[in-house]
Amino acid sequence: MTTAEDGSVTQVFDVLIANFPSRPTDQAVDQLQQAVLNEMEDVNPRGVVLDISAVTTLDSFFARVISETANMVALMGGRAVVVGMRPAVAITAAELGFGLGDIETARNTDHALTLLGISTTSEAERDG
Amino acid sequence: MDERQESDERRRSPTTTARSGEVWIDSEDDILRARQQARSIAEDIGLSITDVTRTVTAVSELARNVFLYADEGVMKWREIEDGPRVGIELVFEDDGPGIDDVDGVLRADHSTSNGMGRGIQGTKKLMDDFELTSSAEKGTTILIRKWR
Repeated sequence: MTTAEDGSVTQVFDVLIANFPSRPTDQAVDQLQQAVLNEMEDVNPRGVVLDISAVTTLDSFFARVISETANMVALMGGRAVVVGMRPAVAITAAELGFGLGDIETARNTDHALTLLGISTTSEAERDG
Repeated sequence: MDERQESDERRRSPTTTARSGEVWIDSEDDILRARQQARSIAEDIGLSITDVTRTVTAVSELARNVFLYADEGVMKWREIEDGPRVGIELVFEDDGPGIDDVDGVLRADHSTSNGMGRGIQGTKKLMDDFELTSSAEKGTTILIRKWR
């Protein structure tokens, strides 16, 4: 369960979805990164969705952890998609010069699952 | 919570103060508290969502620097007025080792291994006003303001 302070990692089909919390401590961000990598090993997913739609403050530390997490997922043979950056966060990140390099991004989780090759229409409704 | 509100006697020209307070920073959790305090004030004075985000992001960078490099310090905040303008002022003070090369830290090419320079340069870009003083004897003081 995602709270304002703690994130969560859930599995949908063979994709992991990591929900970053809105008001994380540095420790919570580090723990979520570790949880994602542990689940990578257990679940062997085709990809990981890093959902930052709840995130209202992306500072240099947080940006670095997200970028590193995506790189670690790639090193372990998965594909990471960063999802849902808010407009004000995108403006601030661009002004600060933070980029996500070659990491894929998507508007929302459905879009990310489509990028990862999963059709979300009928199955999602039935399983929903 | 290590924060308290108090009436502020200071009446520094050209700004006057509506409300003020401070947040002590000596743990990682205090970075979160500093962010929450700054967000609350920035929203109260009616900054746009983008300016709230810029301000809170700057606070996160500076509060983290205090904790990482000086172990402890304080964020003093004020709601300020200057004629018709209202804004938020945040001052970060610590008694840490100070910054040897202030000009260097503010140059784009400078960064320590942990990225202090990058955080300070970014903070300056995000805010309307930015003042940095630092010495080995007195530690570091950084003042930032955002006007509505």
